[in-house]
Amino acid sequence: CTKNFEQINTDPTKVAPTLISAPFLMAQAQIKFSNSGYDQLLFQSMWSQSLASTYDYYGNGDKYIYAGSGRDYFSRTWNTSYGSSTLIDEMKNVIKGNAAFSNLDNCGTILRMMILQRITDAYGDIPFSQEGQAKDGIVAPVFDTQQSIYTSMLSQLEAATAALDVSKAGPSSDLFYSGDVSKWKKLGYSLMLRAAMRLTKVDPATAQKYAEKAYAGGAMSSIEDNAKVKADNTNGNGNSDAAALLVTDDFREVRWSKTLIDYMKLTADPRISAIAEISTGTGKKANETQVVGVNTASLQVGMPNGYDLKGGATDIANAPGYPGTSPANPAVTGDADAPVGKYSRPQFAVYDDRNRYNFLMTYGESELLFAEAATRGWSTGTAATHYANALTADLQTLAQFGTTSVPAASIATFVAAHPLIAGTALQQINMEYFVHTSATFNFNETWANWRRSGYPVLTKVNYPNQFATTIPRRIPYPLGLPSTNAANYAAAVARLSGGDTFIAKVWWDK
Amino acid sequence: NAAPKVKSGLNINTHISIAKITGKVVDEKGEPLVGVSIRIKGTTTGTQTDASGVFSIDGDSKTVLIVSYIGFATKEVPVGNKTSLTITLTANTNLTEVVVTALGIKKESKKVGYALTTVKGDLLDKAKESNVAYSLTGRVAGLSISGTNGGAGSSARILLRGVTSTSSTQGPLFVINGVPMDNTQRGQSGEWGGADYGDGIANINPDDIETMTVLKGQSASALYGTRATGGVILITTKSGKKNSGFGVEYNSNYQMDKIYDNTDFQTQYGQGEFGVKPANLAAALSTGSLAWGPKLDGSSVIQVDGKNHPYSKTSDDYTKFYKTGNTFTNTVSLTGGNETGAFRLSLSDMNNHAITPNSGLNRKTFNFNGSQTVIKNLDINLVANYILDNEKNRSGLSDGPGNPNNVQFLAPNQSQSTLAPGTKADGSEQSFTNDIYVTNPYFAAYNFVTNSNRERLISSISARYSVTPWAYVQGRIGYDNIHDKRFRVEPTGTAYVSGSNGNLKIQQTQTTEFNADVLLGAKHDLIKDFLNLDMSVGGNIRKSNYDGIYINANNLILPYFYDLSNGAQRLSGNIGSDSGTLDDDPKRLQVNSAYYTADFAVKNFLILSTSGRYDYYSSISKALGPGFFTPSVSASFIFSDLTHINGLDFGKLRLSYAKTSSAAAAFTNQVYYSVANSINGVPAATFSSQLANTKLKPYTLTEFEIGTELKFFNDRLGFDIAYFDRKTKNEIVNATSDWAAGYTNYYVSSASVSNKGIEVEIHGTPVRTNTFSWSPSFNFTYINNKILETDLEGANLGLGTYRPLNATTAFVKDLPGPQIMANDYKRDASGNIIFDATGNAETTARIPMGSVVPKFYGGFNNDFTYKNFNLGFLVDYRFGNKVLSATNYYSIFRGLNKMTLEGRETGVVGVGVTESGAKNAVNVPAETYYQTLARNVSALNVLDGSFIKLRQVSFGYSIPKSILGNSPFNSITVSLVGRNLWTIMKHTDNIDPESNFAPGVNYAGIEGTSVPPVRTYGLNVNFKFKK
Repeated sequence: CTKNFEQINTDPTKVAPTLISAPFLMAQAQIKFSNSGYDQLLFQSMWSQSLASTYDYYGNGDKYIYAGSGRDYFSRTWNTSYGSSTLIDEMKNVIKGNAAFSNLDNCGTILRMMILQRITDAYGDIPFSQEGQAKDGIVAPVFDTQQSIYTSMLSQLEAATAALDVSKAGPSSDLFYSGDVSKWKKLGYSLMLRAAMRLTKVDPATAQKYAEKAYAGGAMSSIEDNAKVKADNTNGNGNSDAAALLVTDDFREVRWSKTLIDYMKLTADPRISAIAEISTGTGKKANETQVVGVNTASLQVGMPNGYDLKGGATDIANAPGYPGTSPANPAVTGDADAPVGKYSRPQFAVYDDRNRYNFLMTYGESELLFAEAATRGWSTGTAATHYANALTADLQTLAQFGTTSVPAASIATFVAAHPLIAGTALQQINMEYFVHTSATFNFNETWANWRRSGYPVLTKVNYPNQFATTIPRRIPYPLGLPSTNAANYAAAVARLSGGDTFIAKVWWDK
Repeated sequence: NAAPKVKSGLNINTHISIAKITGKVVDEKGEPLVGVSIRIKGTTTGTQTDASGVFSIDGDSKTVLIVSYIGFATKEVPVGNKTSLTITLTANTNLTEVVVTALGIKKESKKVGYALTTVKGDLLDKAKESNVAYSLTGRVAGLSISGTNGGAGSSARILLRGVTSTSSTQGPLFVINGVPMDNTQRGQSGEWGGADYGDGIANINPDDIETMTVLKGQSASALYGTRATGGVILITTKSGKKNSGFGVEYNSNYQMDKIYDNTDFQTQYGQGEFGVKPANLAAALSTGSLAWGPKLDGSSVIQVDGKNHPYSKTSDDYTKFYKTGNTFTNTVSLTGGNETGAFRLSLSDMNNHAITPNSGLNRKTFNFNGSQTVIKNLDINLVANYILDNEKNRSGLSDGPGNPNNVQFLAPNQSQSTLAPGTKADGSEQSFTNDIYVTNPYFAAYNFVTNSNRERLISSISARYSVTPWAYVQGRIGYDNIHDKRFRVEPTGTAYVSGSNGNLKIQQTQTTEFNADVLLGAKHDLIKDFLNLDMSVGGNIRKSNYDGIYINANNLILPYFYDLSNGAQRLSGNIGSDSGTLDDDPKRLQVNSAYYTADFAVKNFLILSTSGRYDYYSSISKALGPGFFTPSVSASFIFSDLTHINGLDFGKLRLSYAKTSSAAAAFTNQVYYSVANSINGVPAATFSSQLANTKLKPYTLTEFEIGTELKFFNDRLGFDIAYFDRKTKNEIVNATSDWAAGYTNYYVSSASVSNKGIEVEIHGTPVRTNTFSWSPSFNFTYINNKILETDLEGANLGLGTYRPLNATTAFVKDLPGPQIMANDYKRDASGNIIFDATGNAETTARIPMGSVVPKFYGGFNNDFTYKNFNLGFLVDYRFGNKVLSATNYYSIFRGLNKMTLEGRETGVVGVGVTESGAKNAVNVPAETYYQTLARNVSALNVLDGSFIKLRQVSFGYSIPKSILGNSPFNSITVSLVGRNLWTIMKHTDNIDPESNFAPGVNYAGIEGTSVPPVRTYGLNVNFKFKK
């Protein structure tokens, strides 16, 4: 009576290894990685001064102070990203040696590089060569230096992208391109470009080499090539940014930063009415009511970073240019003044859409990077053309949200009015990178590019008890590492000048 | 020792030849004894009594009958000229006490070579606990019981001989009438909130319990093989007795629970922040739980209800939020018995109203125990225990929305009634702090729904056939079938659930355990009158199954309509699937087992026993081998039979050794994938972040035990002392890896835990007269627990935390487990506290601050009887454990703790030095200082959990028969009872040292924001009707 033991011990609710369809794992990695939510909102979105907030747990990003679960947040980007790469690792394990899946395997490599780049950009030296190998007994992977990671990343991207065969089947569960291998190929080269351009401060030669390879290979060529993932709320994969921003406190007190809105106003950017709004009514109740607001450009005001609602010196009412409270509506019982009600919030219909797209890499970004490479004199085409392409693409891309858009006429006017000028090219290019990645809520990229390019020029927030004496340039390693991977963690920290802090710089951030 | 004596009244005459001797064997009450062995002295001829206690045997007047029966003194009866005998056997009091051991095998207590303690039902059923396990507190050496502050029917953490292993769920196996019963904890709260959904033992009605026998050591429980590592508690329910006639008993019990306020908060400063009172409603709402205002001055200040109230200490404090709880329990039992059968049927209803408003428990139990002699030598027994358990609004605990217990942190001037009714005019929640996750207590109590109910049938049927007077065969089938439902509503208008009309969750699970076993037993002299063998062999098949579904209906469409059909979004799945984490994974397990036990008795003073069990698990990879063998050996040496020591009635030395193993969990040794939610129609799949356990076997536990049992002066004084040394090996640790390794957890076979300890039970009867007696008993347990190995790197094994998240518990190598790991003050070489440039105290890394498990514990019980009165009281104690207190954290953070009075108005200059060694001179506003301190120096929240408590007092009176006279009653007993009446000693300010929000070992010693402790006062009336 033990002959059924194997069947008894088989979980009827799970899929046995023999039944799994490997491509399914890629879709899971894509949704997980793209849907970062609080991962980027708590730190990156506000360090880059794309967003601002008076609310408590945003203090980590807005004011560089521990708030909410503070240190616990260090691990968010790390865990989500490695949690995504492990899905790709396992997918690659399952299809190993199966030629029929060669495109899937190479797409997997490209996606894996995209994921691991986010981690190393945030933390510095990270497990790379031994990443995701617990199954083979490596439960405490070594931390590779960021320099070696970039070397490997660039060559892996080069090999995998070149090996993609457009005549063969692509990934069957693909949330980026529905299996279109030619688009993956373009993504591969654009990612190579992005990785290359990260090295402009530390290793311009390598940067040039790979930027030119990317240009020659054929990077993204239209906004149809944008790498993005649409969330699916009905089936339990609602947009995480939206879920976060729909929390009452967040909805009431997360605003576009003054840094961003001021710049957009300065350039008469028509995107302002596509991304920003203030609440329609007045008072606290209206400020908390989740409906579409007023997007008139002239009414939009960015909130300065570093303020709170505590009544002291740092109370938002004391901020320069404070637009005043949005007064209580006497018609609403128990209503109160809304102290931040006149600041512009991310448009409800766009950013709080639980089925919203998450953008990971766009044609516009690719073109901006080529524009910068060309400005540096590298053989990647004409800077001005790339820049104009980028502007057009960036403004058009907003329409891909499906909930907003910039009128075609406004796009043409804006692009025409903002040609690339040689003397200010780097500033123009990288400020556009700032606006575009902010508008697409891709704050990991906003923050990384600020650290690399120095744009926008940001002023540090001052506030009591800060955990950083400059705007944070790095996320400290997850708190669990000293116990889960002590020796390798210690070795990595020893390589950091200034220790495992927010202000230590990663290798490429010289 | 008392030699068998011939009962006077039997005439011994000269020898007469007679063919047949018939007789009846009865006990001292005249009740017939069934299955008594009758043997003719000097021969192997023998018989046994039938169901009526009657026997017949051939013999003559010279015949001497040897009459023996377990639990009674063996008697030699010369037949003489009588042809019909009535033989009365005397229960030889304690010396031949019969105890139930593993597999339900009855043995004479004196022959048992290991420690066990039996607790009689009458100690459990007067001062009733809603979880009968709590009633064992302080009564058994080696046994530690901790409750959960979750309301009636909460779970118990039961540890026998210390923290057995590094598992976070551990505890004994409960076996009811020979059949293992499920004691799975049904869901506990964590640092992020939740509720305690009770455990399996809480379903049992104390009125039905005849005895509970605690098998402590591994030798005692080894026959349960791989399930024995946590020890075993055997429950025997009450049954009818043959030839007892028809009887009716009615027991009524009413108990009141009164909140027992442990807080001693400051009463000088009121609601506000930075010394400022709330100036308007918004300020009142954002400081609803902060007592950082100015000194109370009696002025009129707005509170969260929008009205002005005096700014002075309120008498309407948090305790007024809680009700007087009550529990009314009524049990009727019918018993009957004739010559061939007996039964007992009981019906019981327990109705509880919790101290938490709008919360309570109703439990109905039906218990049937019937036995029948079908044909000669064949007895069948049927036991059925049907339980209907309904819990209304299990209280939220720890930190999470829907927890009403946040009412405990109001500023001294805040009246709890200002939070009522908890709703705004539109029916939505009226928040009272700036944290929407802290639900208004009234809204939590009256609007949230957390209901659970359970239907359970524990049944068994067994048949026993006596093949010969000395051998039997028994077959038994047991089935424990549990159906649980859970219904949770986050109501419309809940502050933190924005943009929707709320959510609901429904969960249904089915738990079954099927056991079929067969046992052959034989007892025979191998060498006549010198060496006896008592042996049993048997086998068991166990099938366990656990499965269920849950459905979430999220974003309700219509307000206030709580049904699945109303969800804008519905998620469903099997328990434990990736999109829902409501409960454990489904489980399916079969275990086939074979076992034996053999006792070799040399005369009656030296007994050598051995047992062995072989378990074959469905859940262990075949590649690892067929199964596990768990052996035990023990010896009992009754030295008082060999030598006479003055005053010593009985002396026994016992020794035992056993090796057992833990169980293997189902479905953990394979890699599985699961189909994830599709994304806009694109299929996706995922897999667990837990690496599969393909190569590992369950751990083993070895235990050596030595003990002695001594009785002096006609049992006026007795000792039972045991020393044990137990150690686990190759415990499978679910080690933590980092996501960078691809998995967050992996199994490694590495941990080892040692428990060495001493158990002492002293009982006596110093005073015994015709009308008065005093029987004190004292028990003491000392346990030296040590974590010998953790994972391969010797890293700490993380356990639980509390919501401030600034401290955890963990198993730490070379220290007793679980340790509280907290950040202490950072000090310089001279011990000065170091302050940073902002004037706030610096901290160390997390360091071990002591174990949450007591080193010493026990109880002191006293029973006095005077004529028809009796008085009993139980004091219990615990020493040497620490508590991690979230209440302490919040009391500092919120300005309630008295320590926050220092520097309230002047600001705080911390006494100590700066990094450079200079005297710290930075003045920090009190609120900033103490809030930073509470956040950073979590060592402040590590408190000494030692206590001495007056646990139970009962005072009873039995109405004398002379008064009952011609009334229909045979007896009436009235008892006044009290539980948890007085904390004689404790060291924890503001909390009860026993407070706990979850029963798992991972949350042991962690408290906060749970249901306050109560004192219980009750009245128990017991009526026995005349037959």
